[in-house]
Amino acid sequence: MSNPADERANAPASPERHEPEDGDGTDEWERMIAAFRTAAPRGSAPPWLEQRVMAEIEALPERSPWQRALGWLVRPAPVRISPLSAGLATAAVAALLFFAGRPTMTATVGSERVEAGAVEQVVYVQFVLEAPAATSVAVAGDFSDWQPSFTLTDTDGDGVWTGRVPVRPGVHGYMFLIDETRWQTDPNAERYQDDGFGNRNAVLAVGASS
Amino acid sequence: MPAPVERTDAQVVRDVLAGDRDAYRLLVRRYGDALHGHALRMAGSPDEAAELVQRAFVQGFKKLHTCREPERVGAWLFRIVANLCKDHVRSARRRDIPLAALAGSLPSDADPAADASNAELRARVWRALESLTPEQREAFVLKHVEGRSYEEIAAVMDLSVASLKMRVHRAREALRGLLEEYA
Repeated sequence: MSNPADERANAPASPERHEPEDGDGTDEWERMIAAFRTAAPRGSAPPWLEQRVMAEIEALPERSPWQRALGWLVRPAPVRISPLSAGLATAAVAALLFFAGRPTMTATVGSERVEAGAVEQVVYVQFVLEAPAATSVAVAGDFSDWQPSFTLTDTDGDGVWTGRVPVRPGVHGYMFLIDETRWQTDPNAERYQDDGFGNRNAVLAVGASS
Repeated sequence: MPAPVERTDAQVVRDVLAGDRDAYRLLVRRYGDALHGHALRMAGSPDEAAELVQRAFVQGFKKLHTCREPERVGAWLFRIVANLCKDHVRSARRRDIPLAALAGSLPSDADPAADASNAELRARVWRALESLTPEQREAFVLKHVEGRSYEEIAAVMDLSVASLKMRVHRAREALRGLLEEYA
């Protein structure tokens, strides 16, 4: 089935389309790339895929209206603000500051309080771990002084634990703590580093949001 | 009678989240082949690729409410299958299943004569490919085998173009070294 045009950019590219190479341009390299492409396996998804996926999905427990409502409430959504309303909102905040004096705005990051005036930027990172047998999952890292202070939740009971954690921009090591006793490295991490104790920490690179 | 208007991905996501589970099959139809193609190139085995794609779609359904950009749900699903593929490569490596052993039986649409003449080189490159880290293999496959642009890969994998180029460069250098060793 073809996809609507506005969705096409979203689709993974056709494996038949090849960008110009930016390797060293030697014949040997070109031959090697050609060999990779020739050897690369190709094929469509098996015809039973859709049926099996849908059968598995149909067997899942129905999400309750409450869970759907909760999902809607916590799902991030784009907010459109017109220049006029943004201007009015700014004016309202300015008026509030003028009449109420300068408030002390704080946000809690881990166990530390960050003054808003210090212009410390925080990015909310979504952690996800599939742990069907767990009764609790927490995440700890150098952003929390390795205290498992951020707990993940599994509201729909599907064994996938998620949680949004405020993290400052930078490179951070982290691990999951399962059932308050068992440390586990994130199997889906982008990078890993040795922790010096025979295990590997997952590594998270957080860029500053613009 | 006008042709029925096809639902956009964003509409499908909204319908599924509203309780219309059957609408999810539209996403399976739209992205099944592309996801399967990538899984096949990462895992090597058609059976394992199909299993990975099935898991990715089911996982995607369970976590659909966390998809921030429903209009880009295809890219989001691709990230799920890409992560599953990387995990699979790691676990396959632990089980010591050589990808090179699969290379000879992989389906290919190449011309039979050219296929035969490249057999030795193919065995070498697949043996080298399985020596890369999962991240390097993924970057190399997306760039040089699937032929995507850096911008496209960076957007899908949530990486900067600079980081991605470095990863592809390292994969290329590693492959070059490995192929010289095997030569």
